[in-house]
Amino acid sequence: MASTAGVPVTFDNIAKSFGPVRVLEELSLKVAPGEFLVLLGASGSGKTTALRILAGLETATSGRILIGDREVTEVLPKYRDVSMVFQSYALYPHKTVAENIGFPLKVRKVPKDQQEAAIRDAAAQVQIDQLLDRYPRQLSGGQRQRVALARAMVRRPSVFLMDEPLSNLDAKLRGHMRAELKHMQSTLGTTTIYVTHDQIEAMTLAHRVAILEKGVLQQLDTPARIYNDPANLFVAQFIGSPPMNVVHGSLENASFITRSGRVEVPVSGRIDKAILGARPEDCGVVPAGQGHLGAEIYTVELIGDHTLVTVKAGEDLLTVKAPKDFSGTTGENIGITFSKDQLFVFDAASGARVR
Amino acid sequence: MTSTTTYQPGNSPAGLFKARSWGEWVDHHSRTFFIAPAVVLILIFAIFPTFYSIVFALSRVRFRATGLQFRFVWFDNFIAQFTGNEQAHFLGRLTGMSFVGWIFALAMTALAIWWLYRSWQNRTHWIFLVGRLISAAMFIFIGWILALTLLSGNPWGTMMTTLFYVIVGCSIQFVIGTGLAFLCSQPISGKNFFRVLFFIPLMITPLGVGYAFKMVLDITKGPLQPLWDAIGLQDWAWSTDAWAARWFVILGDSWQWIPFIFIVMLAALENVSRDQVEAAQVDGASSVQIFREITWPQIVPVAVTVILIRMIEAFKIVDLPNIMTSGGPGIATESMTLHSYFLWRANDMGSSAAVAYLLLILTVVVCASFFNYVVLGQLRRAK
Amino acid sequence: MSTSSFKYEKANRSLMERLFEPPAIGKMSPVAKVVAYGLLAFWSLFVIFPIYWVVITAFKDAAAVNQGPFYIPFVDFQPNLNAWRIHLSDPNCDLYAIGRQFVLLAYNSFAFIISPIVDIGAMEPQICRVYHAFTNSLVIGIASTALCVTVGSMAAYALARIQYKPKFGNAAIFVLLTLVMIAATSYAGIPWYVSSAVALALFFLMARAFGKHFKSTLGNGDILFWIISQRILPPIVVIIPIYMMFQAVGLLDTHLALIIVYAVANLPIVVWLMHDFFASLPVELEESAQLDGASRFGIFWDIVLPLTRPGLAATTLLTLILNWNEYLFAVFLSTARAQTMPIMVAAKNAGEKGILWWEMCAIIVVMIIPVIIMAIFLQRFIARGVLLGAVKG
Repeated sequence: MASTAGVPVTFDNIAKSFGPVRVLEELSLKVAPGEFLVLLGASGSGKTTALRILAGLETATSGRILIGDREVTEVLPKYRDVSMVFQSYALYPHKTVAENIGFPLKVRKVPKDQQEAAIRDAAAQVQIDQLLDRYPRQLSGGQRQRVALARAMVRRPSVFLMDEPLSNLDAKLRGHMRAELKHMQSTLGTTTIYVTHDQIEAMTLAHRVAILEKGVLQQLDTPARIYNDPANLFVAQFIGSPPMNVVHGSLENASFITRSGRVEVPVSGRIDKAILGARPEDCGVVPAGQGHLGAEIYTVELIGDHTLVTVKAGEDLLTVKAPKDFSGTTGENIGITFSKDQLFVFDAASGARVR
Repeated sequence: MTSTTTYQPGNSPAGLFKARSWGEWVDHHSRTFFIAPAVVLILIFAIFPTFYSIVFALSRVRFRATGLQFRFVWFDNFIAQFTGNEQAHFLGRLTGMSFVGWIFALAMTALAIWWLYRSWQNRTHWIFLVGRLISAAMFIFIGWILALTLLSGNPWGTMMTTLFYVIVGCSIQFVIGTGLAFLCSQPISGKNFFRVLFFIPLMITPLGVGYAFKMVLDITKGPLQPLWDAIGLQDWAWSTDAWAARWFVILGDSWQWIPFIFIVMLAALENVSRDQVEAAQVDGASSVQIFREITWPQIVPVAVTVILIRMIEAFKIVDLPNIMTSGGPGIATESMTLHSYFLWRANDMGSSAAVAYLLLILTVVVCASFFNYVVLGQLRRAK
Repeated sequence: MSTSSFKYEKANRSLMERLFEPPAIGKMSPVAKVVAYGLLAFWSLFVIFPIYWVVITAFKDAAAVNQGPFYIPFVDFQPNLNAWRIHLSDPNCDLYAIGRQFVLLAYNSFAFIISPIVDIGAMEPQICRVYHAFTNSLVIGIASTALCVTVGSMAAYALARIQYKPKFGNAAIFVLLTLVMIAATSYAGIPWYVSSAVALALFFLMARAFGKHFKSTLGNGDILFWIISQRILPPIVVIIPIYMMFQAVGLLDTHLALIIVYAVANLPIVVWLMHDFFASLPVELEESAQLDGASRFGIFWDIVLPLTRPGLAATTLLTLILNWNEYLFAVFLSTARAQTMPIMVAAKNAGEKGILWWEMCAIIVVMIIPVIIMAIFLQRFIARGVLLGAVKG
C-alpha cells in the first residue's frame, strides 16, 4: 500500500465576483493533509467556483490559495500539481483509454516505459485494465468514470479535485462508485476536495463537510456533528432526508409555544419569532389529545421498514417517522411528541441557532 | 492492489517541468501568438490598402521614371463620376425626367422621409438615427437615379447595373434555390444524387461558367441554334440588346449561385423540428399550412442571412460580365468592379480608385442597411 | 359506427383524393410526385448541360465547332484529341518536360518557403504553359489554403476561448498614424520603408505611453466582427494599392504574392466558420488538459483540432476551391511566371483567330475535374449542416 501523508490546502479569504455579482464571500478554510473534504451546496452556492479557483481555472478577486506551504494564487494550473475529475469526465473522445490516462504524463515528457507502467498501474487500481485500447464512446458511464479517475491519479498529484463526479451515473452505480472512491482515497492518502450538491454523497464520503450557501461558508465539521449539531437553520434543513421539520412559534424561557401546543426545549431565552427544529426520527405519533402538539394527518407513505406520516400542525407541515404498522387516514386528528434532547431552536429572523 | 514504484507524492512529474524555457515563454504569450498573425495580415493587406486607396482616389496619379507621382486634387475624381464627364458612365444619361419618373422619385423620397420621421418619433438613439439618415439618403439617391434613367427612357450606368445584378440576381437565386431545397427536402428517392449534382456549379470557376454559357447560348453555333432558327432569331446577337445582355449575365450568375442558396436552405429545412411538423400533421394541417406556419418561421433567420452573404458576394461581380459580354453592348453590362478595372487598364488610377471606393460605400450602406433592418430583426425574433 | 368515419377509409376515396392526397403521412401524393420529379429532372438537365457541352467541345475540332451544333459524340461528330494535342505536343513539351514539371511541382511547393524572393517561374522558360499554369495553381492554391486555415483557425480559436480587451484609443492611434504615413509617402516623397518604420515605432511608443489612460475597450465580439466584415471589402478597392506594395518589394508576379493575398481574402470565411466549431466544443476538455499540464498550443494541436476535424476539412476544401477559381487578383498580380489556370483560360480569348473554343474547353475541363471531385467530398460535410451553424449564428 502506497499510503503516504498528503498535502494541506488553505483557502485564505478567497472572494470572487463576476462583474457586480459576488459568487464567493471571503472564504477561509484549511484542509488537513490526506483529508477528504466535501464542499456541499445547492447550485449557485459558489462551491464549484471555490474548486475552480483552487485548480487555477478561475482567478480569485482577492485572497490567497496555498497548497502545502507554497502560495499558488498566481500560479498557472499546470504548476499547481492538482488533478481534477469533471462532472462530464472530460475524456478526450479521439484518444484511447490508455492515451487518455497517459496524457498528463505525455505532456510532462515522462519516458515512454515509465508512462506505460504508470498507465497500467492506474488502470489496474480502478479495474479497467481490459479496456485500454477502447475509445471513450465505447464505454459505459461507470467505465468512463473510472477512466477519468485513473487519469486524475496517474501522475500522483498533491491534491485531487472532483466536481460532482458521480452525478451522471444512475443511482445504483453511484452507490457502488461512492464506496470505491472512498476506499481509493483512503488507500492513496491524497488530499481530496470534492464538490457535490448531494448530501448523501457528502455524508458518506467526507472526513469533513463544508456547507456553502450564497457564497458564504455555513458550517465546516464532520458529517456526524453537522447532522447532530447544525450551526444554523440552513444547515439543519439542508442535511437529512426527509429534511428536518420546522415549527413556527415563539420561545419563552425554556418552552417553545405555538398555536397547536407547547414544547419543552433544552435552551432558554425569549424570542418572539422562533423556529423549532426536529428530525423526523425524533418525532413520534400518539393518539389525539396526547403529546406536545395537536395535528391532523396530511398523507401516509409506507416506505418499507418505516412509515412516513406527514401531519399538519397549524400552518406547518411535519414529517414523522412512524413504525411500519402505523395506520391512519387523511384528516384524522393525532398528537405529536418530541424527544427533548434532540430539539433545536432557531431565531426566525437570522436563522441562527439558539444555544 | 499493486504499489507504485515510480512516483511518490512530492516527487511527482510536475517537478520535471523546467519553469523557464523557451517553450514556456511562448506559452506565456500564447494569447498574442494565436491572434497576431491574422490581425497583422489583415492590417497589412486589407486595412492598409483600403486607406492607401484613398490617396489614389484623391489624387491625379502619373507614372514617372522614379515611380508614381501623386498630385492632390481633393474630390475631383469623385465629382467627375457624379457631375463631370464620367457621369453617363457611372450614373447613366440624366437628361430630362419623364412624368412617371417624377412620380416615382417623389414617392420614394416621401417614403424615406416618412420612415425617418417615424424613427424620430420613436425616440431612436441618435447613433441609429444617423445610420437611418445615411440609409434613407442612399435610398432616395438610388430612387432618383432609377427615375432619371430607366423610367425616363435613358440608359443607366454601372452603378445601377451593379444594383441590378445584386437585387434581381439575388431575388431570382433565392426563390429558385429555396424552391429546389424544398423539393429535395420532400420524401423523394435519390436525394443524395440531386444534392451532389445541384451543388457542383458553385464550385466551377466563374470563368468556366462564363465561357460555357457563351458557348451554349451562341446563336449560330450553340446547341440551341435550331430553337433560335425556329423563332427567327438566327441573325440576332446577345450583344446587340442591353437588356438581353444583362439577363444573359444574370442567367450565368444564377446557374453558379443557386446551389449556394440551395445547399444552405436544404440544411435549414432538414433542421426544422420533426416533432412540430408531425404534431401539425396529426392536427390535420395541410402541407401548405405546415410550410407557412411551422417551417417558414424556423428557416427565415437562415434565409435572410444567406441572402446577406449572397448580396455581399454579388456586389463584387466581375468575371461573368467581363467574359460573357466584356461589359457590352456599350456599358450595358458593366459592373462597378469592371468599370474600375477598365479605368485602371486605361492608366486612370485616380478615377479607378474613386469608382472602387464608391463601390465600397454602396456595398457597405446597402449591406449594413439590410443587416440592421432585416437580418437583426429576424434573428432577434428567432430568439 | 358513424358514416362519417367511413369517408376516410382508403378504399372509399375518390379519384381526385387519390391523386392529390398523400397515401400516408410522410409520403407524397401521385400528382405532387410527378411535379417534383419533373422539376428535379429539368433542373438536373439545366445543371448538367453546360458542363456536358464544355466536355464534348474539348473533343471537337474547328470544323465540328464551326459547322453548327453537334450534340452527341460518335453519332453527330467524331471526337478527336486535337485540342489536347495542341497542349500536349507543344514542340517544347515532351514526356521529359512533363516529368520535369512534376519534379518542379514538388520543388516549387517547397522552394518558396526557403526563398520567396527567388522567382521559380523564371528558372524554367515558357514551356508547357498549361502544365506551368496547373502547377502554379496547385502550389498557390495549396500553400495559401494552408496559410489561411492555420492562421484563421488559430485566430478563431483564440476568439472563442481567450478574452481580449484591445483599447479603442490604440486602434484610433493606429488608424491616424497609418493615414499620416500614407500621406507622407505619397505626397512628401518619403521612402515607404522609412515612413512605415517611423509610424510603427511611434505606434508602439504611443500605445505604451497613452494605453493605460484609455478607458473604453473592445471585446472579442468586436474583433470577430471586424475580421468577418473584411469580406464585404470589394477586392477592386485594395488591389491597386496591393499591386503597388508588391511592386515596391519586388514581389510582383511571384507565387508568394498570390499566396498571401488569397490567404487574406479568405481569412474572414475561415475565421467565421471555424469560430463556430470551436465555440461549440465543451470547454471542460480544454480545462482538463490545462490541469494535466498541456500548453495552449499543445491543447490546440492535440485536443481541439482533432475534435473539429470535419469542420476543418470542410473549411479547407472550400478555401482550396475558392483559391483555385480566383481570377481578379491573379489578373493584377501575375503576368507570366506565376500565371494561374484562370488566366490561362482567359488568355485563349485574346487570340486573333477568335476564340479557340476547343482548346479553351480542354483547359476548362482540366480545371474543373479536380474541383468536381473536391465538391463531392465537400458535399458530404455540407450535407451534415456544417455550414449551417455558422449561418445561423
